[in-house]
Amino acid sequence: MAGITLPAQLAGTPESRAALPPARVVADIALVAGRNLRKVLRNTRLIVFSTIQPLLQLILFAYVFAGVARVPGTSYKNFVVPGVIVQTMVFSAMGTGVGIANDLHTGMIDRFRSLPIARSAFLVGRTVSDSLRLGIQSVLLVIAASIIGFRFHNGALAAVGMMVVVVLFGMALTAFSAWLGLTLRDPESVQAAAFIPILPLIFTSSAFAPVNRLPGWMQPLAKVNPVTAAIDTARGLAFGGSHTATAAWHFAAWWVAIVAVFTALAVRRYRLG
Amino acid sequence: MSGGVVAEGLVKRFGSFTALAGVDFSVEEGTVVGLLGPNGAGKTTTIRILTTLLRPDGGRAAVAGYDVARSPQLVRAVIGLTGQYAAVDDDLSGRENLVLVGRLSRMAKRAASERAAVLLSAFSLVEASDRLLRTYSGGMRRRLDLAASLMVAPPVLFLDEPTTGLDPRSRLQLWDVIHGLRAQGTTIVLTTQYLEEADQLTDRISVIDGGLVIAEGTADELKAAVGGDVLDLKLADRARTADAAATLAKAFGVPEDELTVDAELGSVLVPVSGAAALIEAVRALDAAHVPVADIGLRRPSLDDVFLSLTGHVADERPEMAAPSARRRSMMGA
Repeated sequence: MAGITLPAQLAGTPESRAALPPARVVADIALVAGRNLRKVLRNTRLIVFSTIQPLLQLILFAYVFAGVARVPGTSYKNFVVPGVIVQTMVFSAMGTGVGIANDLHTGMIDRFRSLPIARSAFLVGRTVSDSLRLGIQSVLLVIAASIIGFRFHNGALAAVGMMVVVVLFGMALTAFSAWLGLTLRDPESVQAAAFIPILPLIFTSSAFAPVNRLPGWMQPLAKVNPVTAAIDTARGLAFGGSHTATAAWHFAAWWVAIVAVFTALAVRRYRLG
Repeated sequence: MSGGVVAEGLVKRFGSFTALAGVDFSVEEGTVVGLLGPNGAGKTTTIRILTTLLRPDGGRAAVAGYDVARSPQLVRAVIGLTGQYAAVDDDLSGRENLVLVGRLSRMAKRAASERAAVLLSAFSLVEASDRLLRTYSGGMRRRLDLAASLMVAPPVLFLDEPTTGLDPRSRLQLWDVIHGLRAQGTTIVLTTQYLEEADQLTDRISVIDGGLVIAEGTADELKAAVGGDVLDLKLADRARTADAAATLAKAFGVPEDELTVDAELGSVLVPVSGAAALIEAVRALDAAHVPVADIGLRRPSLDDVFLSLTGHVADERPEMAAPSARRRSMMGA
């Protein structure tokens, strides 16, 4: 070799002792999130189509099924709106994994990892930008729904509460989606794989019909389903109801479990490279 | 401690596959070293370990004196990396890509945009500055990728096959950039499959194959190690290639399988020593009535070195199984 050998002791502190100051961590997260949001804005076609699709669904459900479906306490039109919004949050959350797989695919993730930035910035920045995306999307949907006659029955504060609940649920699923993206590493596979757990979860939930109207064998599944928990909590906040508190506890438990498990799995995957 | 790069006995396994089997490698500060090897030899794995993207399973490595496993953040602050695929964002403009990398490298907003402007002009991308990357050609993307690695003027630069897939003009432009960086004192580690590129750009070369460095030296040292000269013959009539090969093998008393024969090009290469061989070859071919288009003696090229060291040409996939007998003998030497 060229005659250079390593000394026994090398310069530099071990990384655990060289933690970055919080202001830098926040700045890195903001830079990564800003970059992600800019990408969203540059893909106008994607925004348009991913907004039109739930809007169409709202209109179809509100006008086609409103005549035949009867639900207790409110109109079917009102009933179905929180269901469609939660469903949209679930689908949109899958964009997180697709975005991450894309960054793996193009080498952008290597670019970030080879820079002296906070290690958490990539995943946290992604969560921040995707939560904003989900928030904007849910506001747009509520506006569209109110144009076709959707009304909150429970006051402004509870209405805001419903928005928070649906976005929080979407955020929890971005953790699952991030893990999927980091594991499968290919945008198309992520999209295809995500549907396998998601579609059954949505259709065995209270999204489109009250749980007690579902087939008997499906009811126990629907009752423990996290999508049901999120939708029932959102409906409770929008229209009031006696079992809102139960649904909210159910939702909180699911939220903590999903976030804890999939954040841990995603972070582990990310560290492995 | 030097500001260069040192690796000692790097080992990396992926499941049952051993990608690196103990790579020893060093780069003196301010020099350019080429890591040369076929696909799957371990070049990229070595670069990924040195740039903190992968943790080694064994061995140690330091970049600018910092341990890559113990102090990755300190290493990241002194390196630039241009990977095999242009790591640029399609949905951002050229300028935005550079500013993002600059800001993530702790540059102030103003300094980042000034530096971006300098690099865009140095890489002839001024007109494309504000266009989204998805409108860039392959060569432009590579140039922007390299520009992104240079935002903080890193003392150590890693280039993983920087010119793979580029057209000749873009390749020459990148070569100019690399020459310029070297003149400014940047330490550069470069992987390539193009032997001519290694010859042009590097001070020293490490040949890597099967996860081991099997030879190291300057291009001239490596060529000298192969020894002798190469008689390079082009035939006027390609149909006579086999005749020419048989005639030359007989004339020089070497077995025919030591000749490199290409019937499609009508070319024959014979390992020889000394200028007298040229006269002898012309006489033998004339006596056999084989018409010659061009004949000459040359020093071995890096391609010859590669062939002799690894037993296969540079862009061929190596056997995953045991190293060839030829390689074993080189390793023992």
